[in-house]
Amino acid sequence: MSSLQMYMLLGALIFLLGLHGLLVLTDPIRRLIAVNLMGAGTFMIMVTLARRTDPADPVLHALVVTGLVVAISATAFALRLITANLITETPNLAENNAAQSDTTLSQQGSPPT
Amino acid sequence: MTYALISLSIPLFCALLLLLAGTYVSERALAITTITASLLSLIIAWLALQEVATANQSLLLNLGGWESGLAIRLRLSPLSGLLLLFTAFMHLLIGLYAGLSRQGAVRDFWPLSSFLHGSLAALWLSADLFNLYITLELLGLTAVAMVALAGKKAFRPAANYLILSLAASLFYLLGVVLLYGRYNSLDILILAGETQNDVITRLALLMMTAGLMLKAALWPLHLWLPSAHTNAPTAVSALLSGLVVKGPLFILWLLWSEVAPLALARQIGPVFGVAGMIALVAGGISAMRSPYIKTLVAYSTVAQLGYALMALGLLLTWQLPQMHIALWLFVIAHGLAKASLFLAAGEMQTTLGTKRVSGLRGATQTVPVAMFAFAVAGGSLIGLPPSGGFLAKWVLLEPLLSQPQNWPWAFGVLLGTLVSAAYIFRVVALSFDRARINPPDTRPDRLGHWMALLPALMVWGMALTGDWLIRLLAGGGV
Amino acid sequence: MSLMIVDFVPDLILAFLVICMAWGAMHARSRHDAMAMFVAFGLVVALIWARLGAPDLALAEAAIGAGLTGVLLLQAARQIPAEPRTMKKTTVQFILPLVFIVLAIALFASQLFSDDALNISEQARIRPDVGLSAPSMSDRVHLAMPDSGVGHPVTAVLLNFRAWDTLLELLVLLLALSGLRQLYPSSQSAQKKSDGPLVRGPEPWPLLLAWSRFLAPLLIVMGGYLLWRGADAPGGAFQAGALLAAAAVVLRLAGLLPALRWSSLTVRLAINVGALLFMTVAALTLYFGAGWLHYPAAQAGILILGIEVFATLSIAITLTLLVIGEYEDLHT
Repeated sequence: MSSLQMYMLLGALIFLLGLHGLLVLTDPIRRLIAVNLMGAGTFMIMVTLARRTDPADPVLHALVVTGLVVAISATAFALRLITANLITETPNLAENNAAQSDTTLSQQGSPPT
Repeated sequence: MTYALISLSIPLFCALLLLLAGTYVSERALAITTITASLLSLIIAWLALQEVATANQSLLLNLGGWESGLAIRLRLSPLSGLLLLFTAFMHLLIGLYAGLSRQGAVRDFWPLSSFLHGSLAALWLSADLFNLYITLELLGLTAVAMVALAGKKAFRPAANYLILSLAASLFYLLGVVLLYGRYNSLDILILAGETQNDVITRLALLMMTAGLMLKAALWPLHLWLPSAHTNAPTAVSALLSGLVVKGPLFILWLLWSEVAPLALARQIGPVFGVAGMIALVAGGISAMRSPYIKTLVAYSTVAQLGYALMALGLLLTWQLPQMHIALWLFVIAHGLAKASLFLAAGEMQTTLGTKRVSGLRGATQTVPVAMFAFAVAGGSLIGLPPSGGFLAKWVLLEPLLSQPQNWPWAFGVLLGTLVSAAYIFRVVALSFDRARINPPDTRPDRLGHWMALLPALMVWGMALTGDWLIRLLAGGGV
Repeated sequence: MSLMIVDFVPDLILAFLVICMAWGAMHARSRHDAMAMFVAFGLVVALIWARLGAPDLALAEAAIGAGLTGVLLLQAARQIPAEPRTMKKTTVQFILPLVFIVLAIALFASQLFSDDALNISEQARIRPDVGLSAPSMSDRVHLAMPDSGVGHPVTAVLLNFRAWDTLLELLVLLLALSGLRQLYPSSQSAQKKSDGPLVRGPEPWPLLLAWSRFLAPLLIVMGGYLLWRGADAPGGAFQAGALLAAAAVVLRLAGLLPALRWSSLTVRLAINVGALLFMTVAALTLYFGAGWLHYPAAQAGILILGIEVFATLSIAITLTLLVIGEYEDLHT
């Protein structure tokens, strides 16, 4: 087995471990980490495929750079979204009391006639 | 091709300039700019469609002037031209609604909707697998950002959708990478000529399909859709159900009808067909049972996408051009009808002050125009003649009814029709119950209600242009 | 034979490390441990990429994947309530997918080794050959390099051959920021506005204050160097932008950088200029030039540099706001 084959398998394993985590875990932060692991696995497969040629395949490297930037943007947004959501769902903070009473009001149906 | 690129760049420039303008301009100015941009983009998309229709073949462009196999290739086919036009049209209609109705839209709706328009246009035109990945990411992030416009209540479904969407994108990306590893190309047209039915190709295509099915909310990967579309603001739900889920569907179609080897496509056709039928029935039943109005409409999207999936499946199995026409007629008819449904539902919710279906009692008296819009749009979803939905369904059913061995498929379609009728009539019948009317909370926003009716009238008007649409889709094909 | 095994050992060690960290990042007992392992995972992955001959990517992954993501995670950890202990899947639900994974890996491995469809066995190492009848995509890149305007293939691919992808990617960054702004609606009156350091945190660590004055200028210089060097060697707009963002984050965390207000035109201009300039170049080449994003051959190098400079600025400030943007930065 060459080292490239080993890295391919490693990438696939990390991807699948991430997928397993996504399916099995419930905490949103851990699920986000799991998705990032899937990304890391994908990128590892890409870099390994790039190593088939010497010098390395620039197209795949460029794709990985693009993928990394897309991943960080989406992860940052997702993390902030999850944080905002989890803060909202905790009844302790003062702002959440205000927010909760708003939603309760809007969810009440109109009174029966 | 120039027209198509201009039609693409207008909303993108609009979005960038709106973001740059920031707090300096009033909301009214934002709205007017965006709506004008949609209108301009629509006119130029029409010109682009004319260009490709008269040429009667797809126009190709290698970006940057580099050779094929190196450059990203853009393709303007009659179908992509039609979809460009449709996207601009939907944005115009929904933009007008958001601008004119009292409920209106949040400030940030306008640049985001322009971004959405641009992302979709980039998707329809692309013929490069990695470029499609980026447009998918653009689409997904825009959709989540727009769902988050609704405020705190939408954060949970938005976060859930984002995580799943990211995972789905990675499935797609991995598939693209495997195809590149095998065939050394990212270009769809080149891959179409080279793919063979081996294990790596099958694995790659399956992974891409899984990712795309989740993004397009095709059964069984649709579970994120109802809560996301319910909790989004009204105009956003209309855009999401009407347009956003169609993007991944387009890529799925592109993948299986061009890139995949024929034998493999023939094998997966029945799988799609069956999944489509289950979507129809399962989505319809959930819609019937849903206590909330917008959730009913959201499940209806899941059900209606079943028609599209069926059409795709049968297209792949039998390689009939008719199925191609049926698929895209469905997409257009459903987009218009669903927009109308969501807008009407949103208007009724606001006016009557209730989110529940049971609160629509006597709506024909309190909110007649909006209810009429709901009924008319629902009629197209059921497939009543001569609506656009009927047109699409007829094109789908004709080959199914012609041969006895295809009757099980026809049965599935008819079952879906029955179920759609059930949940539409559920609402309409309740609205006629004038004995115990649910009084409105606020003065009805007449202009908003009429704007909600507009897409519904459009979809019924589709029958007038039906002949032209069918000829366009048939002649173009790919 | 023995030489081959010795060469293999570092790879095996890295692989083992990575798998342990991947597992820990998801399944560690406490969320903090999981986050820490994830950051460490990012660093080991960067090592692996350096080993696989991808210095560009190692740079990017270390800066973005380990650095910025680490700050994001730690910030989130500070703000959110602790994990509830009750929601855990049963053993069967946990093990069953793992079994599937093992089977999937075994199948993939057997496929990989049996017919080597992906050409990664030692014997099949492809060498770029000018004059091949059907050159692969990377061959075409190397052949087209002289006309691209830059010396480094990855930069050429990113900013010339596949520039449309890069343009869309700049839009992805913008969209993520726009989405982030929706989480801080202007109606939130409970939030306080302030021009100083992040409101809710404790006093900045004294060493951080001292080091940031020293580290930040270094990072800025490194960023500029990477940007300049990207034309001919590993580097480029994204790596430079990430480093600059890291510098800004360090300064902000130490309280030395004031709020980057969305309401300021300069900030908005800096955020948008990358994508706006790129789109303008595209439109101008469409209208007056040979086509969409078709650079005139003589000016390709200068155009690419110009686009890269402004893209770096936009990437840096967008990433900074994505990572540490608070209410005072983002309120409408």
